[in-house]
Amino acid sequence: MATTSERTMRFAGKRALAGRTIGWILFAIFLLWTIFPIYWMLSSALKIEVNMFTIPPQWLFKPSLRNFKNLQEAFGLGTYVKNSIIAAGSSTVIAIVFGSLAGYGLSRGKIPGKSTIAFWMITTRMAPIVGVILPLYILFKAFHLVGKMPSLIIAYTTFNLPFAVWLMKAFFDDLPREMEEAAMVDGCSKLRAFFVVALPMVRPGIVAVATLCFMFAWNDYGFAVVFTSGATQTLPVATARLMTEFGIVWGQVMTLGTILLSPVLIIGLLIRKNLVRGLTFGAV
Amino acid sequence: MVRNRETNLGKTLQNGGSKGPPVEFYMVLPALVIIAAISLFPFFYLIWLSLMKYPMIQMSAIKFVGFRNWIRLFQDENIRTYWWVTVKYAGIALSVEIILGITVAIFLSKIRLFQELLTTIIIAPLFFAPVLVGLIGRFIYHDSYGIYTHFFHSLGLFREMSLFGTPHTALPILISLDVWEWTPLVILIFLAGLKSLPQAPYEAAVVDGATEWKMLWKITLPLLKPVIFVALIIRTMDLLRYYTKFLVTTRGGPANSTKIVSIGIYDMAFQAYRMGYAATITLTMLFLTIILGNVFVKFFVSAQEA
Amino acid sequence: MKKTACILTILLSLLLVLGGMGLLFAGGGKAEEEEEMEETKAFATEEEMWKQFSGMELNFLTEDTPAAGAIVTLLPEFEEMTGIKINVTRTNISDLVTKLMLELGSGSTSMHIIYSARWQIPPGRSDILSDLRKFEDDPSLPKVNFDDFFYKQFITTSHFVDKERIIGVPHDASTMIWFYRTDIFKKYKADFKADYGYDWTPGENINWDQYKEIATWMNDNVDEVKYGAGHMSKQWNSLYCDFSNVFWSFGARGFENPETESWGVVFPGRCMWDSPEAIAAAEYYKDLVQNIAHPSSIAWDWADLAEAMAKGDEIAMCFNWHDFIITFQDPDRSKIVDKVQAAVMPTGPAGSRNYHSGAALAINGAAPMKYQKASWLFLVWQASIPVQKEIFKMGSTPVRMSTYEDPEVKKWMKEGTYPGALIAPTMFTAWDDDHLEYVEGRFPQFVESLIIQYTELSKMLQNEKTPEQAMKDIVEQVNDITGYTDLMKAAGKQ
Repeated sequence: MATTSERTMRFAGKRALAGRTIGWILFAIFLLWTIFPIYWMLSSALKIEVNMFTIPPQWLFKPSLRNFKNLQEAFGLGTYVKNSIIAAGSSTVIAIVFGSLAGYGLSRGKIPGKSTIAFWMITTRMAPIVGVILPLYILFKAFHLVGKMPSLIIAYTTFNLPFAVWLMKAFFDDLPREMEEAAMVDGCSKLRAFFVVALPMVRPGIVAVATLCFMFAWNDYGFAVVFTSGATQTLPVATARLMTEFGIVWGQVMTLGTILLSPVLIIGLLIRKNLVRGLTFGAV
Repeated sequence: MVRNRETNLGKTLQNGGSKGPPVEFYMVLPALVIIAAISLFPFFYLIWLSLMKYPMIQMSAIKFVGFRNWIRLFQDENIRTYWWVTVKYAGIALSVEIILGITVAIFLSKIRLFQELLTTIIIAPLFFAPVLVGLIGRFIYHDSYGIYTHFFHSLGLFREMSLFGTPHTALPILISLDVWEWTPLVILIFLAGLKSLPQAPYEAAVVDGATEWKMLWKITLPLLKPVIFVALIIRTMDLLRYYTKFLVTTRGGPANSTKIVSIGIYDMAFQAYRMGYAATITLTMLFLTIILGNVFVKFFVSAQEA
Repeated sequence: MKKTACILTILLSLLLVLGGMGLLFAGGGKAEEEEEMEETKAFATEEEMWKQFSGMELNFLTEDTPAAGAIVTLLPEFEEMTGIKINVTRTNISDLVTKLMLELGSGSTSMHIIYSARWQIPPGRSDILSDLRKFEDDPSLPKVNFDDFFYKQFITTSHFVDKERIIGVPHDASTMIWFYRTDIFKKYKADFKADYGYDWTPGENINWDQYKEIATWMNDNVDEVKYGAGHMSKQWNSLYCDFSNVFWSFGARGFENPETESWGVVFPGRCMWDSPEAIAAAEYYKDLVQNIAHPSSIAWDWADLAEAMAKGDEIAMCFNWHDFIITFQDPDRSKIVDKVQAAVMPTGPAGSRNYHSGAALAINGAAPMKYQKASWLFLVWQASIPVQKEIFKMGSTPVRMSTYEDPEVKKWMKEGTYPGALIAPTMFTAWDDDHLEYVEGRFPQFVESLIIQYTELSKMLQNEKTPEQAMKDIVEQVNDITGYTDLMKAAGKQ
């Protein structure tokens, strides 16, 4: 008996080793495939244009900042970065402020129709962007907002706010009520309990939601291209403008792409912990 | 009668003595009003538009046409193509993402060393803007100087043809871009799901002498069903929404082989300016979104209750 | 309480809906024809005239073209001369179509100067564009002198249907011509002649069959490039443009109404894409793209095609917008500097037809009169000879005829300085009445018909349809959207 199980285990061990090795190889391929485009984008940004197109490709090269210089000359990045920050940042702030309030209310309060509200939030968040551009455009036109920052901020709020409400509710749901109830027994009003007790405790959740809201707005192209004009264009719009009538200015695209990616990548990686909850609407 | 009074009393106590709506209601109200203002108007407006012939290019021809747009929608061959392309795109992307996601997640969950670091590296694609993903895709799959194209050529594949210009490679490229960007999310979902799996069934299985494979199929996957479900819903909803990478690469070609419904709406609304018809197509998409949202809420709410 | 909130919310949104609808109808926007032009008199000095709107800010929406780029570089001069600040928004052509219609269609008064492609705004909303005659006649404003523009360009970019009403000042004049590698054509000329017996120098002496022969021969015999010819057959506007070169040269016509492509019409009549000539053109084009041209052609638009040409090792010739000479002569972007020339299109049964697609600059008629007048200053300025000369230097081609009479310009053309000068002789030929072809239909549903046409052509190129079937389907769908089918049905019923 012992010999058989020993043999089985040894055999299983060998198979496991072979399996493991294959597993690691496949995983390495996957990892490579995942990282490679990022590496390629970064390295292309540092190549002078003529070297970007050589076949076979250049793996070793002297890095150059010429693309960045050209980009800055052609475009003047400052405005685009500023606009992206304002649009994404403002809609994130609105989403977090009203989203936390509403999320808390939905979590703690006895509000009828929660299911309906939840359904409504998710549907609004998931509405096809291309379909709502026109109605929103009409709306903004009525208030003379087209081409101005507020229109973009409001447009981003249409998907960030429901998202924030939904998620903050999930985070508050996870928070046990004891602390707030203790505070209320001590004479705290409900609202104060929210601000002083509950909110600080969901801080990691808030950071996660804020990052995601910021990212969705920062990366958006559909709304941005329609609702902005000259002075209010954002980074994704600038990136698309690099598809000029002369061909795509790849060097600048890669550089702009790096600038576009970096902020959200860095922040996102820092807050990795709560990212899953955020991206799955708290389902996991 | 007595019961009613009791309930009212209970409610009153909860409200701290006042008979008006609780504080929480007012906390929720601002968000609700904002969302209502910016979501209800588009909805009703789209419905109104779908009943109109509204060519923005010829304002004099605007008129009410009732259900003509809807009738045309069901007879339109092109729309059917768009939906079919969308189903193909979403279906294949989903399948690959889920299978790949589970596989990598399971593998990752078994690694002791560097799990954190590897996971962090893997999720990088998630932060890419769709417009950037499209442009990078266009670059690395470029017929003349794309590095992936060069790789294919060196393997003897796809020579003397155009990757973006041939229907049977164009859509796969776009699918591969989506898989590249979003599989990390699926991996994260499954990692989290795997972590919360109970240990008991596994311990019992080991005692019974089950192999790893058997455990995978008989225990892990069935237990992961709800997680698979979440991943499916989350991804499906986003697969329908995003169209930017199509815009910056193929724009629906060649021969409509990559023309997803969103691009169809885009062309109808913002190139042809047939707002009425575009609104009709949008409403069908919205309808689908609503169904999906409904399913998700039912699942999520019931999971909460459980 | 909940119910009240619910009801309030619904009421609020209904109000918004009604309000929006109301504004939509009210915001149609029309040119201010009725507004009384105050009596104005001329200024004492020219300087005063130009400075009369100092301090104003104008908004200018344009496609990202070479002409636009040139003008943007020169803007500081305009600002100094007039004291007017111009805010420029540049986008690619698809986004321009989107934004422009949304802007004008909802009665915007804040977009003042508009890039008016002949096939887009005028057919749809020419009512919104301001009639420029009143500015030309106004003694207090500078004159642009409409007679000084190439006549056909003037008709097709500055009018719609109404032969008197002027709605734009010509701005750019993109024309499709035949670019080719001078070094390759020179090097292998004798070899080709030995095989085929004729001189293969591009121009109207070459017909379409010979073009195929040249391209095929190059595929097999020329080492410097992979393929002889490249095309822009991506499922997009570019496919339509590329096909049109063949289409019109074969003698096919777009629509029944002969003024569809020139002055413009509200109703173009029957679509003529199923004529024998049209089907012949489709068959030719299919063979060309599928069997002879560079395989990447079906994924290329005009920018990709130019890039491939500039790369130097992909193709030896391409039909493209003449402005691309700037790219080809730019050492930073091109490996074929000084190795490229242009010729007019090959000759078909209807001659050598060169696709001309120009645009004008127009003024938004819904903007307040003061802004319109200030915009007029900009329109006149960009068409003035000094600016046209600068544009020429930067590579675009001036639309004002007398620019070419300027002694300095004559010198540049003789010496071939500046890319535009290099191909100017070809351009003059391409712009004369025997070679110029206006291809885009100027009627309201043009963009939609364009989408139908390039989609069906793409299906044909993928072998999903025969050329004949594709053309028939095009005709059926286009007749449907122009109202021709309905018209025939109504007539049939009687």
